[in-house]
Amino acid sequence: MADKEKENASDAAESAIIEAGEVSTWLTEQGFGHEAMERDHLGIEILKVEPQFLLPFATALYAYGFNYLRCQSAYDAGPGKELVSVYDLTKLTDDADAPAEVRIKVFLPRENPTIPSVYWIWKAADWQERECYDMFGITYEGHPNLKRLLMPEDWEGWPLRKDYISPDFYELQDAY
Amino acid sequence: MVISSGKRPGDNLANNPLINPGERIMNPAAGGGVTQDLSENIILTTVDDLYNWTRLSSLFPLLYGTACCFIEFAALLGSRFDFDRFGLAPRASPRQADLIIVAGTVTMKMAPALVRLYEQMPKPAYVIAMGACTITGGMFSADSPTALRGVDKIIPVDVYIPGCPPRPEAIFDAVIKLRKKIANESMQERGEFISTHRFYTRSHEMKTVAPILTGEYLASGTRDMPPKELMQAMGMPVEKTADAKLEGAKATADKQEDKA
Repeated sequence: MADKEKENASDAAESAIIEAGEVSTWLTEQGFGHEAMERDHLGIEILKVEPQFLLPFATALYAYGFNYLRCQSAYDAGPGKELVSVYDLTKLTDDADAPAEVRIKVFLPRENPTIPSVYWIWKAADWQERECYDMFGITYEGHPNLKRLLMPEDWEGWPLRKDYISPDFYELQDAY
Repeated sequence: MVISSGKRPGDNLANNPLINPGERIMNPAAGGGVTQDLSENIILTTVDDLYNWTRLSSLFPLLYGTACCFIEFAALLGSRFDFDRFGLAPRASPRQADLIIVAGTVTMKMAPALVRLYEQMPKPAYVIAMGACTITGGMFSADSPTALRGVDKIIPVDVYIPGCPPRPEAIFDAVIKLRKKIANESMQERGEFISTHRFYTRSHEMKTVAPILTGEYLASGTRDMPPKELMQAMGMPVEKTADAKLEGAKATADKQEDKA
């Protein structure tokens, strides 16, 4: 019974209409197509964008005042699922108190994860996109220096993908 | 005991009323001058001991640290724990060091550099593996794709210090144990101490290539402007687009203010 209730609750949550936030509304008004996802636990808007529209979308957000790319990261949605490139944006001003934030998520196919680089909008993306390339194999097109950041340059495979299998080097075998 | 000449302890007794003239005490209680001078000024030892004593009294560790263990090691360098009193003077060059304290996790990317550092140290060189990471990989031994599971897979380790990280006192303990080990070594056995290669090496035919790090990282040509394809995809240069949009955004913001 409890499980069923839970299922019903989760179904209800999924099917619940997500109210578009301020940024989402503005973007819709300006004609930038996207999908508003459920807000996170802090109430920050999450916008889902198609990779081919990321650049104009990001440019618009930069113009809207999101001048600071606080964090660029990526994650693997699960075995066989998409890879996700995430951008955390903040409006940075003098004497900012609780500045506006927004998060963009771009879902990429596992087979050919390519996405335009936002380096030319926010220079902070430089090393963070390199790390995402290093760990997940997401190709950031137009990045000025896209090569591995943490792993050795001749490493094979993308270590943080769910389907990655660690190599069985002698040096990596357990000591006992 | 035959006393040949010079001032003898027995001479003082000449005026002793208990001793008749012409009598001598054969074994006086005071020490003999010659033997005392000998024992105070001459040391009998072996060359091995002397050599070992000089080596163990001035172990020069390489200033090497890759992770949190080095924080404890750095505490050891300071005045509170003060490891200069053991004759340990940290050296920044492997050529001058004869001890390497591997402080912190070693990754697959760092491993060749560590082996190279060890090989650059003049032999005999000693290795202390400090902390769980350098012994077995520590907490990274579960599922890390890159952490080396124990540095003894690539370089020979003399002393292991368990701990995560170990206290500075534990490093003292390891240094003292290493000093004992050095004190027991002998030149005759030196041939047996030549370290074996525990890692795979092959003779490379090296080619000279231009250095990758030229100091012009931010000045590289690829950073001047976005590639053509990207600019075409965006329709126009990013900065201009941003400015145009900024104006649009301002107008919108004004509108919103008017509405409010």
